[in-house]
Amino acid sequence: MIKFTINGKLVQADQGDMLLTVIRREGIDVPSQCHHQAVEPSGACRLCMVEITRQEWDGWSKFVTSCLYPVEDGLMVTTHSAKVIQLRKTIIDLYLARHPNSTEIMRLASEYGVTRTTYETVADGDDCIMCGLCTRICAHMGFSAISTVGRGHDKEIAPPLKEAPTDCTGCLSCANNCPTNFIEFTRDSNSLTIWGRTFETLACSQCGKTTITRDFAEHLSKTRDIPIAYFEVCDDCHRKETAKTMGRVVNWTREVQA
Amino acid sequence: MNHDFSKLPEIFDRYSRNPESLIAVLQDIQQEYHYLPCEALQETAKNLSVPLSKVFSVSTFYNAFSLTPRGKKIIRICKGTACHIRGAYQLQHQFETMLGIKAGETSKDLKYTLEVVNCVGACAMAPVVIVDEKYHGSVDVSNVKRLIKRG
Amino acid sequence: MRIESVEQLRKLEKKYRGETESHPVRVHICYGPGCLANGAQEIGDRFRKVIKEKKLKNFKVEAIKETGCHGFCERGPLVVLEPEGTFYTKVKVKDVEAIVEKSLGKSEIIESLLYTNPADDKKIQRYKDIPFYAHQKRIALRNLGQIDQTSLHDYIAAGGYQGLAKALTAMNPNKVIKEVELSGIRGRGGGGFATGRKWATCAKIESDVRYVVCNGDEGDPGAFMDRAIMEGDPHTVLEGMIICAYAVGSTQGYVYVRDEYPLAVVHLQKAIEDAEAVGLIGENILGTGFSFHIAISRGAGAFVCGESSALMRSVAGEVGEPRAKYIRSVVKGLKDKPTVLNNVETFACIPVILSEGGKAFSKIGTPKSTGTKAFSLVGKIENTGLIEVPMGTTLREIIYNIGGGIKDGKPFKAVQTGGPSGGCLPESKLDLPVDFDTLTEAGSMMGSGGMIVMDDATCVVDVARYFLSFLVEESCGKCVPCREGLYQLHQSAVRICEGKGTDDDLEIMQHLSDMIVIGSLCGLGTSGPNPFLSTIRYFRDEYEAHIKEKKCPAGVCTALITYIITDRCTGCLACIPACATDAITGKKGQVHQLAQDKCDRCGACYAVCKYDAIEIH
Repeated sequence: MIKFTINGKLVQADQGDMLLTVIRREGIDVPSQCHHQAVEPSGACRLCMVEITRQEWDGWSKFVTSCLYPVEDGLMVTTHSAKVIQLRKTIIDLYLARHPNSTEIMRLASEYGVTRTTYETVADGDDCIMCGLCTRICAHMGFSAISTVGRGHDKEIAPPLKEAPTDCTGCLSCANNCPTNFIEFTRDSNSLTIWGRTFETLACSQCGKTTITRDFAEHLSKTRDIPIAYFEVCDDCHRKETAKTMGRVVNWTREVQA
Repeated sequence: MNHDFSKLPEIFDRYSRNPESLIAVLQDIQQEYHYLPCEALQETAKNLSVPLSKVFSVSTFYNAFSLTPRGKKIIRICKGTACHIRGAYQLQHQFETMLGIKAGETSKDLKYTLEVVNCVGACAMAPVVIVDEKYHGSVDVSNVKRLIKRG
Repeated sequence: MRIESVEQLRKLEKKYRGETESHPVRVHICYGPGCLANGAQEIGDRFRKVIKEKKLKNFKVEAIKETGCHGFCERGPLVVLEPEGTFYTKVKVKDVEAIVEKSLGKSEIIESLLYTNPADDKKIQRYKDIPFYAHQKRIALRNLGQIDQTSLHDYIAAGGYQGLAKALTAMNPNKVIKEVELSGIRGRGGGGFATGRKWATCAKIESDVRYVVCNGDEGDPGAFMDRAIMEGDPHTVLEGMIICAYAVGSTQGYVYVRDEYPLAVVHLQKAIEDAEAVGLIGENILGTGFSFHIAISRGAGAFVCGESSALMRSVAGEVGEPRAKYIRSVVKGLKDKPTVLNNVETFACIPVILSEGGKAFSKIGTPKSTGTKAFSLVGKIENTGLIEVPMGTTLREIIYNIGGGIKDGKPFKAVQTGGPSGGCLPESKLDLPVDFDTLTEAGSMMGSGGMIVMDDATCVVDVARYFLSFLVEESCGKCVPCREGLYQLHQSAVRICEGKGTDDDLEIMQHLSDMIVIGSLCGLGTSGPNPFLSTIRYFRDEYEAHIKEKKCPAGVCTALITYIITDRCTGCLACIPACATDAITGKKGQVHQLAQDKCDRCGACYAVCKYDAIEIH
């Protein structure tokens, strides 16, 4: 067990836990845009930075991204020091210059009292804040259909060669996890279009509702050994089915015990 | 553009066929074709077992790679500090005006590509212009025309 | 032929040295980057041809050596006649015949090719007597100019691989580390971390595999020390790496060479192959049972790859995005294994530390910054070139004693050290000793060793803008403070250079800089605002001139200057074709006219005018 303090309060955590996990477990609100429990932390947005010090540092302190910093015995963490708030405000200010129309950034800005940007608004700023979460999740799903392209200020997220990505299955993990809701997709009665590629969607054999794309179903079927028929039933109908089975299991258990 | 891609397997064979060889392979392809043709990127992905997205990401991250065909004559202006304070910017301006293209562009007839490059380590002879592989030192704006013509 | 033992290596050293010394005169032609660009190759070819034709009795073609950078690039192409050290400067192909006939055939000296000391206008025959060389002490650059650049034969004759031999046979790994610690050497790449301590940490970590990586990604613009070493003395880098591998227990090493240095790759490759052929690299080195392999990894043009975590990702074939270094690369580096990453110059010093002893090395320089440091001395300076001096030498000694002062006798304005992460120091700081800590305290840093001298025709605001634009282009784009922050900082600098700056700009830039420093993920970002921070510290008045008076005192920022043709114009017509926008008109023999509305202030006319008739206002 590792013992350290957050904002003066003594907390415990397991070796290898990251500061942000413990901070959030303690119910403290520290913002972040690029963090997701499912994938390795990247430290790109810098919003979760906190100030750390130790008794023996003699008043000296430093700033670290809490999503990447492993817990240490005796660490003293401050999540909202004056400097940390200044830093977060500056980052939000920079975001605001680049993504003036993003509702997520505007929400964050109002939370931190940033009313307008200090900087020159970037002419063609869209809502992609380059947190890279979509690419990391896509890789985590096993597809790596999209990636960062270029570098520096012009860096963007795109499929290879900026053409419809062959490795995409239309699983929507990227779009559903985009913090600024920037990744667009459209649905039709039996298809789904994302990253410029259209996928056939499966329909529930019982109620007719759209489930997932055929490509994604085939991928899951192949990699997790699940029969494709499983995906031809929607979640709601699956639950109905489960209720029936569960009932049988419960009865069966009673019978055995009796 | 049509290319002879029969050389690709030989390039792949120079290295072990794994993701670690990606940059080296792309460099050899760039050397061979003077840019990275789409088909070559796809073949690289297949042969090194790297997702195509990663091949694309790497080939757009590094300055050495170009995804568009480059000109016959490649003019590179060094933008190192020593060259900068000895007038590299004026040289760039002169080249751009005379060639009618900006740095990083290739002329429509595919004759010239103009590039600015990071310090090439020939600071003692600043400002430096490299035409194809030949270094030219202490270049001033009055030499630009000659460099474009003869190299 | 494999060298099976240390005894055999010693015998070879003697034999090879004897062979070299058997030539009464040796012609060393500098094949460094500067001399090559000025025709060294053609001079070398000419020498071989002329010697063949003249059929000299006591001169063999083998006595012509293509050496690495001799250092005095300003005077290149250089030809040195050894062992006398006769130093011929600015040699041309047409001079070769005379050199062969007179100097090789009859031991005569050709006065016109010798260096003239500007202090007394006297000719100096030997390079060691020239002030540029006399004030230097060479360790990392010891073989440059002295041996044929890729010859293993020459390297061994110069005592090469003796440091390795000593380490492998007379010392255990721990003792090697102790020796390096004793030398006090700190990383020459800029960070200044104690090399011995780095090795000791790596050696202690439990792991089946450890890597040794040489950082040859010399990205700082204005620096070419590492290029010169990799091209001109590749074996010393390899020897340093093998010694390190033995000390930390590694069997695989990589040299990461930046894309812009193709010749370095060729020379290193040849050196590795030659060393492998004789058993100095590979299995069972020198018959001691120790094995170590070295591969070259080529960069592909990304400054950020000089940063350790980005470099390691690049070696692994990935995008060079740095990672947060809360776990250091010496613990978890290349392929997540413990890795020693040292710079080219650091490795180049290691063989000497081993053969001469750590104590001897520690006596050079200052107590906290031991040894020597190589610098590339460039910019508006008389003697541009590659130099090496003991740590603690003052900037003034370097710039005036070695560098010969400012070009054309102009006033000194600033010296820029440390690359984009470093800073500009003014006249008042010239007496600071050059070491790791002093320069950092003064707001600059030693960095890898680029030293760019600026005169009063250099605008420091423009220099700050230049470095910021460099960093914006080189930022990997991963973290927000660097990607967006440096971009905004650069935008402000551009506005100021264009005369659109306001009083608020400086305050906003200061605050943003402070935040980028604490908020960025890697060293590129945290040191990114330095070009601004160091120039505003010492040259605030120049910023204010741009903002308040809309003037560029150095006459550089194009939006704030105008070119004027004065009546000194002789009407020579030279500037008319030079003007790309047809802004100049005039007739032969009459003062020319410049249409300000057409002029885009490129400076072409100013550059071509032989009569100083064009002024910048």
